[in-house]
Amino acid sequence: MRNTILYCLGAAVILLLVRDINLIAGFPEEKSQGAIFKIIFFHVPLAITAMLCSMVSLVASVMFLKTKNFRYDALAVAITEVGLAFLLGNLVTGSIWARVIWGVWWVWDVRLTSALVCWLLYAGYLMLRRAIEEPTQRATFAAAFSIFAFIDWPIVYLSIRLFRTQHPGPVFLSSQGSFPHDWTMAIFGPFGVLMAMMMLATVMTFVRLGQEDSKRELDSLRRMAHAM
Amino acid sequence: MTFLSNTLLLAQVSAEDVAREIARLQRNYAFLSYGLCAAWIILVGYVLMMVGRERSLKREIANLKAMLEEKHK
Repeated sequence: MRNTILYCLGAAVILLLVRDINLIAGFPEEKSQGAIFKIIFFHVPLAITAMLCSMVSLVASVMFLKTKNFRYDALAVAITEVGLAFLLGNLVTGSIWARVIWGVWWVWDVRLTSALVCWLLYAGYLMLRRAIEEPTQRATFAAAFSIFAFIDWPIVYLSIRLFRTQHPGPVFLSSQGSFPHDWTMAIFGPFGVLMAMMMLATVMTFVRLGQEDSKRELDSLRRMAHAM
Repeated sequence: MTFLSNTLLLAQVSAEDVAREIARLQRNYAFLSYGLCAAWIILVGYVLMMVGRERSLKREIANLKAMLEEKHK
């Protein structure tokens, strides 16, 4: 049953993305940037999905510390790994856009640097988990680290609002920028790219959660084999 | 009037300008496609990594179960 739901969700994601890519291809080019501007339709949803993954990871980590239930730990690790893939996509698409518009692949601007630090922190979270053998200790340390790592997200979000950065200022949810309504809907609408990305992240997280269950089963089998 | 101003504007554009603009547009499209390909390659790569991990976990579980059954016999 769970697999059927996941397959259906996966198929819905593919349909949504095909629809959105068709829609975005039909949009006119932006006046000053040209075609490369259209990368924003993927760059922004990738970032928002990564941020939502980190939020869920934060909640799951807090819940683990409170209840010591390993289901929360499994959710935290699964969704952190998925969020890391989305954040990497965001960094790479942004870098490619920067190469065309700024003429360089990377600048040590507050937004870019804080996003990179965020990626490194969550990569460190996964490395920390590999370094600790004992499950309870691993889950506790990882939960504490995940809560600490989330502190970077408000810095990433506010960097373009508080500092003068090379990264463009906010165009959504801000009085500074104006984005055409149909373009905004292509990202934030009910059938927009953001919805597709969130559904994709959900499918990936459930698959990854299944793997955590398998890992637990494998650990118990190993213990049994060792005891024999 | 518009026709006249457009004609005058076009008269100022050299063949080099047109070639430069075409090259800029092509470069823009090329980088847009690189960006989209990179994003999908990362996500598809991650999915493939998960598929590989799933297979190896299942194989290990099956091997251990078989080993435990052998020992029980």
